Amino acid sequence: MKAYQEKAQALDALMFEKTTEYEIGRRHLANMMGEDPETFTDEDIDTAIEYLFPSGLFEPRARPLMKHPTEVFARKKVAEFDETGRPFHVLFYTGLPNYYQVLHDLSEKVRELDSFSDRMMQYNIHKDPERTLNVGGTEWVKKEQLEDILLEKLKDKQYEFFVRSMNRLLDHPFSYRVEEFIMKFRKHVQISVIHKEIPKLMFTAEGTPYMAAVGRRKTSTASVTVYGRGSGKISINGEDLLYFKYIQDREQVLFPLQFSGLLGKVDVVADVDGGGFSGQSGAIRYAISMAVRSFVDEQMMEKMRLAGLLTRDPRRHERKKPGWKGARAKYTWKKR
Amino acid sequence: MTSGYNCLVIGLARCRLGLSSNKYQLSNVFLRTYSQYPPHFVKPVYQPAQLDDILESGESKNLEFTPVRAAYVNHTSSIFHDKIVMKFTNHVMKTGRKSLARELVEKTFQEIKRIQLQKWNEAKTAEEKANTECNPLTIFHQAVENCRPVLQLIPIKRGGIRYQVPIPITDKRSYFISMRWFVHAGREKERKIHFPERLARELIAASNNEGRVVKQKQDLHRQCEANRAYAHYRWG
Repeated sequence: MKAYQEKAQALDALMFEKTTEYEIGRRHLANMMGEDPETFTDEDIDTAIEYLFPSGLFEPRARPLMKHPTEVFARKKVAEFDETGRPFHVLFYTGLPNYYQVLHDLSEKVRELDSFSDRMMQYNIHKDPERTLNVGGTEWVKKEQLEDILLEKLKDKQYEFFVRSMNRLLDHPFSYRVEEFIMKFRKHVQISVIHKEIPKLMFTAEGTPYMAAVGRRKTSTASVTVYGRGSGKISINGEDLLYFKYIQDREQVLFPLQFSGLLGKVDVVADVDGGGFSGQSGAIRYAISMAVRSFVDEQMMEKMRLAGLLTRDPRRHERKKPGWKGARAKYTWKKR
Repeated sequence: MTSGYNCLVIGLARCRLGLSSNKYQLSNVFLRTYSQYPPHFVKPVYQPAQLDDILESGESKNLEFTPVRAAYVNHTSSIFHDKIVMKFTNHVMKTGRKSLARELVEKTFQEIKRIQLQKWNEAKTAEEKANTECNPLTIFHQAVENCRPVLQLIPIKRGGIRYQVPIPITDKRSYFISMRWFVHAGREKERKIHFPERLARELIAASNNEGRVVKQKQDLHRQCEANRAYAHYRWG
């Protein structure tokens, strides 16, 4: 027990020492750069280090670094019991006090929200759609991140249970009342940048607006140009829509045009190579969808995205494995 | 392509999570499906009416950052597209021959039209003519609806014996069963009568609540009624 306590004290002392060093370093850097030491932020420190210690190393993690000690040293759990051996945390003997504390808080909050909604039902007040918690652009922290927050190693099942329970709390109509608690365990996702970088329309010598795009599906590649102020002419490798023998492929070519309402209003010139008829029509469909983005407004573009027209189909032919009949099919299993 | 193989491995690892939250129609769930897409990808909605609903109700706000799977090869926003006919074509398809399946289904509808037009022309009174349905799609929809079972039987083992226990059926499964019965009925022996002709006759009969497919549904319901004593085996 004494050893644990000494460890905790040593850790505290180390962190204190490193933090003071860091702060002194911050002031020195500010002086060197000619900035005000009081308002020198962490980002300013990064730029100062980059300027004063330029590194030609390729790996960013190998370059010189000056970060706050809490970011450099991994957080560890301090002594969890006093000198008599009595633990501080109520749930110490569960083995995962922080994890079970979170679950306990969660269940308390569910109970609170339930009693709140009961009181609201008395006054006939139901879920307010305007105050619903918006968790768009966020997702639950991953298992590793949760372990970092709780400083405890978790099993997969425990993580699954945690996410299921939090979803239950999130589904409650009055979950906005516990937004702070929920947001502690939600992190922002990478915003998809595809629909923010729509290329602007280009113009031919005669002044016709046009947009070019390349689409791929399986092993086919299609390069398509969509000309505005057209009459609905479609040319695929020099032939018209009848290049495709099957109606399904013709429908696929027309799908993005019909969906966005540009069917008789634009001309399409496509060059396609590789693959079979289905892959080629899919490639042309994707290329047309990407080109049409420049001709339509944001709402139609969002509709196209929800319809799956702006997703490059990632499915490729799956190889046959040795010892298997095909990609997934196995040979007949004989017990004897 | 080894990337597909790797995706399978990754997909399996993520599939262990198998969590579900029925929050939205296009739910952002960890699906227990083995697909080449990462688990948080959502299925596409391509029909204009449904999309307008989603945008009006405000669900699209929640889907702003959710990636969507690519549209299927048989999706179109055209007015001639029918979801149930699309599903039916898939059930008719064997070993991936979609073009042949589509041809057969179209021939079936042509055959239905032919048969009904003949009846219409032979009809004497105006009332008879009005009662003859000539639209193959209407007949197809009516036939599929008439043959949808309300319950299904599943085998449950109790005390060493397997009992056939009646349980409720989901909408999706009832459509599937109905369509599968039609396809099997079309594939009956006697190869002299081809699939489209046989299927056309079955569909027309079923839309009038006659024929072997409707009989199959009624047999199933009769068996469910007979086995209702075992209905409580469904629960533990």
